[in-house]
Amino acid sequence: MSIKKWLSIASCTLFFSANMAIAQEAGGNLVYIVQPEPPSLAPYLSTSGPIGLVAPKIYQGLLDYDLELNIVPELAESYEISDDGLTVTFKLQQGVTWHDGKPFTSADVQFTIMEVLKKFHPRGPNSFKEVSEIQTPDDHTAIFKLDRPAPYMMRAFAGYESPIVPKHLLEGKDIREADLANNPVGTGPFKFVEWKKGQYIRLDKNEDYWKEGLPYLDRLVARVIPDASTRTAAMESGEVMYGAYGAIPNVDVVRLREMDSIGITTEGYSMINPMALLEFDTTKPPFDNPAIRNAISTALDRQFFIDNIWFGYGKTATSALSSNFAPTGLYKESPNYPGKPDIAAANKMLDDAGITANSDGVRLTATLDLIPYGEDWRRAGEYIKQAIGDIGIDLDLRYEDVPTWIKRVYGDYDFAMNLNYFYQLPDPVIGVHRHYGTDQIRKGTPFVNSSRYSDPELDALLVEGATSSDPEARVGIYHKIQDKLSADQPVVNLFELQFITVFNNKLKDHDFSAMGSYSSFDRTWLEK
Amino acid sequence: MSFWQLYRRNTSAVIGLVILISVFVIAACASLIFPEDPFRLAGKPMSGPGLNGFLLGSDTLGRDVAAGIAHGARTSLMIGGLATAVAVFIGAVLGGLAGYYGGWIDDILMRVTEMFQTIPSFLFAILLVAIMKPSIQSIIIAISVVSWPAVARLVRGEFISLRNREFVQACHIVGMGDIRIMMAEILPNCLSPIIVAGSLMVATAILIESGLSFLGLGDPNIISWGFQIGAGRTVLRSAWWVCTFPGVAILLTVLAINLVGEGLNDALNPRLRERT
Repeated sequence: MSIKKWLSIASCTLFFSANMAIAQEAGGNLVYIVQPEPPSLAPYLSTSGPIGLVAPKIYQGLLDYDLELNIVPELAESYEISDDGLTVTFKLQQGVTWHDGKPFTSADVQFTIMEVLKKFHPRGPNSFKEVSEIQTPDDHTAIFKLDRPAPYMMRAFAGYESPIVPKHLLEGKDIREADLANNPVGTGPFKFVEWKKGQYIRLDKNEDYWKEGLPYLDRLVARVIPDASTRTAAMESGEVMYGAYGAIPNVDVVRLREMDSIGITTEGYSMINPMALLEFDTTKPPFDNPAIRNAISTALDRQFFIDNIWFGYGKTATSALSSNFAPTGLYKESPNYPGKPDIAAANKMLDDAGITANSDGVRLTATLDLIPYGEDWRRAGEYIKQAIGDIGIDLDLRYEDVPTWIKRVYGDYDFAMNLNYFYQLPDPVIGVHRHYGTDQIRKGTPFVNSSRYSDPELDALLVEGATSSDPEARVGIYHKIQDKLSADQPVVNLFELQFITVFNNKLKDHDFSAMGSYSSFDRTWLEK
Repeated sequence: MSFWQLYRRNTSAVIGLVILISVFVIAACASLIFPEDPFRLAGKPMSGPGLNGFLLGSDTLGRDVAAGIAHGARTSLMIGGLATAVAVFIGAVLGGLAGYYGGWIDDILMRVTEMFQTIPSFLFAILLVAIMKPSIQSIIIAISVVSWPAVARLVRGEFISLRNREFVQACHIVGMGDIRIMMAEILPNCLSPIIVAGSLMVATAILIESGLSFLGLGDPNIISWGFQIGAGRTVLRSAWWVCTFPGVAILLTVLAINLVGEGLNDALNPRLRERT
């Protein structure tokens, strides 16, 4: 028996009930913040955050994900996975056209995945690694043939992660240089109109949008406002109505959330799953010793970061996986992630490991590199230095510019301990494996296994996790992976970062998808 | 009249001196008054002045602002003093050579000096610190590099005006070497403008260091006033004391140094000596 999902029925019901609750009003312009300015509007070439704030309104994916991470239809009305997990068949929506009037067909899907995303997208080669061929028996059917089962792939079909692009505008061209990057043509609810560099990007309603009656808004204006306090003031005055991904600094969020006209939410980031963490050079003393890494994990007050640096937003890490994986069952609360710091226990771990203190109470000295992404991270480094100074580990802090830091940690491995954050993304295969697998020790590639942790037992579990198509079996595998990682702590996970979206209360239904601000905004509407 | 009698005629210069001495005393006693590391998380974060045992309040992480100011005074004075010493040394050597020899040596050295002077000094300092890794050494080097041209021009001017005087020509006639003439005869005669310029330069150096730290380019392991202000600016609306007290410390110190510099100028400049 095959697993067959008829998504449109479920979504129609959902849509209908939403309709009954409040009557949406059509019309109005939404001005929102995009910060910093996107480098291009080519989501098929770059995963850069600001692109995600604009491009998914123009381009769509085959699927979308609701706030509970359930799969909902987008350009595909349904999909079917064969029993062996090696064939995935997508039935595409009827009557979809590109913004230039050409019909959208399965050939576009085939071209996008095989010729664009698999070749040029930063994460595409990973997400679609197992896809060997896409068959297009008719205009509305795309059949993905896989070499091995790839259940994680089903999490990578959103409009931001895997946008479907028009074959007729890219075929035969140099994909990286094509003009489409600055004049995007998609199937989405809004059409690209104008980009005034340094000021705004304007998108107008797509009158021929394939979803009946949508979108509600007439126009989107993504404004570039470089100065943080100006952004806050614009939000306060109602000049802009929406800002995500820290567009409004946490310190101002604390003030703005008291205003009646302003609302905030931390929803819409569950596909991103950012985790703050410490990486160690596990190949050299002192941090080749798991006891020391465990002692550091035990001595840190994870809540301190959240309360005193991130103004109450965030969640302490309790495992190598983010707790956002709890709905899928993969997440497991693990030992060695104490809720409260335990200095005595940490000291004992070091004593037991034979790491003794000199007359000044110093057991060892090391340099902590700090991620150069702003003041918050410096404060975090200053806190870590103080906190683990209490167990006799004397740290020197080093704060460099971004290219130097990336080269030092990921190019030259010239570091001992590094403060950073990683996106765990919608599936551990895409976001977490890169941190621990032996095959992910890729000198010169940023944000992979710079700890150079290598463990055959773990490697085997990671392969199992990536290829198993049985959700039940995956639960068991990932629980074992987390046990292993919390015992060894090649990376000490600190806390789950929580991005904040700030919006004007007149704006409704803006975060209806797990993609949050990276969604299409087709159901978003403005109260008059 | 003695130097002190000349100096104390200027009341504001005396006030400046008193403030400056107080800053020195605080810096010298920092480890006695606040024996703990100023980065230590001493108590409840964001406590107001006078609360929870914090004289001047605590910052976002619970560090004592008063301890930071006391230890930061050391950093500021040390960087100000060292950077100025290096800048004056480089400036005096290059300016002296250019002024004494003239000709092509002067041309080359002055073109180099002008090249440095055309770059806005603070931006140049930012660039230098960003290229080297932010540390106390790189900050001192950066401040020295952007500060010496002014000294070089001053010293060159003095040397040009003195090199043809009779006493210098007399030295030539008795067979003194160039180095000796420069060191023993000309330099002592232009010492007072150098001292005045140097004292004012200390104030500028403190401001540059504060600016760099404020922008996050300070040495992350050493506390300074600029760092305190930078770390506290995000909470200016909710915890004013974190920025305000270090700001006042910078203001008072820089003002004091300027007043002292003015007083030195009055006392050392022979033309102003009779001013009443």
